[in-house]
Amino acid sequence: MHYHVHNQLNVTFSRDGQLRRRSFLRCLPAAALAAGSLDWRSRLAAQASQLRTKKKACILLWMQGGPSQFETLSPKPGHASGGETSAIATSVPGIQIAEHLPAVASAMDDICLIRSMNSKEGSHPRASYLMHTGYIPTASIKHPTIGSHVAHQLGNPESDLPDFVRIGRVRSGGGGGLLGVNYDPFVINNANRTPDNTAPGTSTDRYLRRLSLLGQLHDEYESAEQRQEVKDHRKVYGKASRMVLSSNMKAFDIAQEPAGIRQQYGTSEFAAGCLMARRLIETGVTFVEVAAGNWDTHQDNFSRSAELCGQVDKPFAFLLEDLKQRGLLEQTLVVWMGEFGRTPRINPRAGRDHYPRAYSVALAGAGVRGGQVIGTTDPGGVGVEDRPVGVSDLLRTIFGSLDIDSDLENMSGVGRPIAVVDGGELVKEVFSG
Amino acid sequence: MSISVRSSLVLSVVLLPGFLLTPADLPAQSTATDVARQVDQLIAEEIGGESAAQISSDEVFLRRAFLDLVGEPPTSNDLLAFSLDTRADKRAKLVKQLLADDGYGTNWGRYWRDVIMFRRTEDRAILSQPALEEFLVTEFNANTPWNSIARQLITATGNVRENGQTGLIMAQGGRPEDTVAEISRIFMGIQIQCAQCHDHPTDRWTREQFHQLVAFFPRVAVRPTMMGNARSFAVIEKPELKGTLMQPVFFATGQQLQTGVLDKDRRETLSSWITSPENSWCAKALVNRLWSELVGEGFYEPVDDIGPDRDCSAPRTLDLLCNELTAHDYDIKWLMETILLTRTYQLESRNRRSLDELPFQANCPQRLRSDQLFNSLLAVFDIEDVVSDRPAAYGPAMRQGRGAPRLLFNSMFGFDPSTRRDEIGGSIPQALAMMNSPFINQQINAQHGQMLAPLLAEVNDDRQLVEELYIRVLSRQELRVCLDFRRGINSRSEAFEDILWALLNHAEFIHRK
Repeated sequence: MHYHVHNQLNVTFSRDGQLRRRSFLRCLPAAALAAGSLDWRSRLAAQASQLRTKKKACILLWMQGGPSQFETLSPKPGHASGGETSAIATSVPGIQIAEHLPAVASAMDDICLIRSMNSKEGSHPRASYLMHTGYIPTASIKHPTIGSHVAHQLGNPESDLPDFVRIGRVRSGGGGGLLGVNYDPFVINNANRTPDNTAPGTSTDRYLRRLSLLGQLHDEYESAEQRQEVKDHRKVYGKASRMVLSSNMKAFDIAQEPAGIRQQYGTSEFAAGCLMARRLIETGVTFVEVAAGNWDTHQDNFSRSAELCGQVDKPFAFLLEDLKQRGLLEQTLVVWMGEFGRTPRINPRAGRDHYPRAYSVALAGAGVRGGQVIGTTDPGGVGVEDRPVGVSDLLRTIFGSLDIDSDLENMSGVGRPIAVVDGGELVKEVFSG
Repeated sequence: MSISVRSSLVLSVVLLPGFLLTPADLPAQSTATDVARQVDQLIAEEIGGESAAQISSDEVFLRRAFLDLVGEPPTSNDLLAFSLDTRADKRAKLVKQLLADDGYGTNWGRYWRDVIMFRRTEDRAILSQPALEEFLVTEFNANTPWNSIARQLITATGNVRENGQTGLIMAQGGRPEDTVAEISRIFMGIQIQCAQCHDHPTDRWTREQFHQLVAFFPRVAVRPTMMGNARSFAVIEKPELKGTLMQPVFFATGQQLQTGVLDKDRRETLSSWITSPENSWCAKALVNRLWSELVGEGFYEPVDDIGPDRDCSAPRTLDLLCNELTAHDYDIKWLMETILLTRTYQLESRNRRSLDELPFQANCPQRLRSDQLFNSLLAVFDIEDVVSDRPAAYGPAMRQGRGAPRLLFNSMFGFDPSTRRDEIGGSIPQALAMMNSPFINQQINAQHGQMLAPLLAEVNDDRQLVEELYIRVLSRQELRVCLDFRRGINSRSEAFEDILWALLNHAEFIHRK
């Protein structure tokens, strides 16, 4: 018992110095206490997730290629622009979304839709960069992407795991930029496999033996002369090898998840990414981006959008549910967005082309008031009619929900201060109260 | 001609600012050796201080010169031959030899490819990268003068997969503002783009001057095209159209074109004005950049933000090199040779100086660029580069992480070479790849790799084998720690696999001293 208490205290203090032992029971979810028979590990997990909720986190579901708003969040049944897609009711009376997203429709109580997004960038790379950084690309300044800002301001430098994980290949999504490589995403190509290069090429014992030899070689080298590059190198290697050896690495292993949970997420690659995102957030990672694509439906928009919605619907909806059940949704912002929308006009190949003038995004968690729609477009979805929301407004809202100051200025390489977000205003209606 | 006569000629050039030498004016041009000596003297005069650093050892110099010039480390034979060479001018001979090697153009072509491509604002420009690299490699090996390379990059048209010189314009999607800003940054070291939206906060350029510069690039555009069945882009212009709105004025010299000049003549004019000897920024930007790459510290930092209101750490030295470069008709190999022959370059390396210390008192260690590091791995493992006939890993191949090993490696280890080198740190994914990647672990393996098995069989003496591995990986010798380690392990092959692993992950391996 003493051992348990001791560890409990260690965990308590290392994660949040404000907590005291007697507050432990108060922090446990009621359900866990009711279960009564929790073993040490489950109690630890329960406490860890409770402690985790002290800190804000964010999951960005990136819809690469530009999803059609007509086939997802802003259907226009009965109008020529709407095409063959019909609308279905959601859990919130008065809000309808496209037929291809039934699970998301059931989760509408937690979701805030913005149907009045608009920008001027209609090319994939430029629009992706814009949505990720709030700026249009320039040669002289590499603007940090959302995840890098979040890692920079909310990340835990002592963590064994990276603060910013990107699952799937995101094109033109930016990186740490002027904040430096420490804030680049840790990229996972395939959520069904161990992340690249995180398993030692040998047994753990031999890996440790190699690290120890390397340490001695560096010691010997440094005894002759103190060199900055060696110091920096040892720091990075220290962090990388701690990560390889960390028990938290199991967060990347979705195979450890109970079959029931896996089934709820579904089987698509995006589903695996969402499940990994939840495991990572639960373990203390601050920002996870999960990519789904390709939504660039210049041809066969209707069948392809239906198929893509099929890959995204269940995982998105169950991710919200799963976060909620673990008490993480209140502190975790979930954003669903792509680089732009698609044209009201249906082209001769039954496709829709790029359209930044009016498109939709979805937000949930972290104080977002679900069950509401912000902004409207005209009956044909050609233009924004009410409450236009620009990219800077959206980014301010995202950062605002995470308690990040959008006006903070970081220095660029040529000594020019660059604000986290340039201009724009927080969309107040997004939040409750 | 005796050395003293030649030095006095050099001095006369230095002492007569504005007097421009053309090759015809001189019976022979001042040699790299002479100018290198002048540079060292001038640095001593301008900066003062007696450097505590010694001239680098042969081992350090050899590895440094190989990596700097041809982008790969010396072999053990190179090291042996160089150590045994007793000629007083062996360093100068080595420099000449490396500059004549094709590896020189490959190395510096890739360097400039990165200078251009890391600042791309059009991601699809990656399609043009192989052609750009090929163009640059060829030009650098042919030692085409810098002004001619610049002119080709500024005035290019055509299919971006075929005409590599279109790479710079393609990297900015042909947008005039972005392209002109890059031309100014790369060829003159001036960041005029800040004046795009407002007058420059720290420099004297105005918004109007920026837009007058942009007027040299009207109606240049990038359009999708096909090359066989492959998607590509073409840089196009409408040569016979006349711009009427904004008068093109070159901010650096004040030279102006009338409105109404044909589009095709505008770019030609801009390129010749930028590279003309009257525009001193062009030589300054090149000298500053190459000096910074080689000595490890620039006259101005970062290398692409040099003026006009920035402080230069040794203005007379920089002027000397610039005047000589112009007199040598922008001969890049001559400039490289000159810098490598200076004592300043050949000094031992020391930590980057703090602000209160004097500049150029030592060489400064450099992190290897991705291609240099990849070449070093190939050299250690005795394997050939896999050359892909794929145009570029773009589209599905890139999304799925496929492509030639070098491209994948570069995507992880590459960095923008214009960034201040002390701001470029190693990353965790890089450390993970060096420690754990299947590629490296397979090569280290005594059974599967091609390198260690024959060595284990041929070299029975542990001491000799440690020496061999040290020289291969770090171009130097050291025994104690590895021999002690070897004695503690039963399996000889496992012990040496571990030693090789540790040497490859040593900080020294990914830097040049």
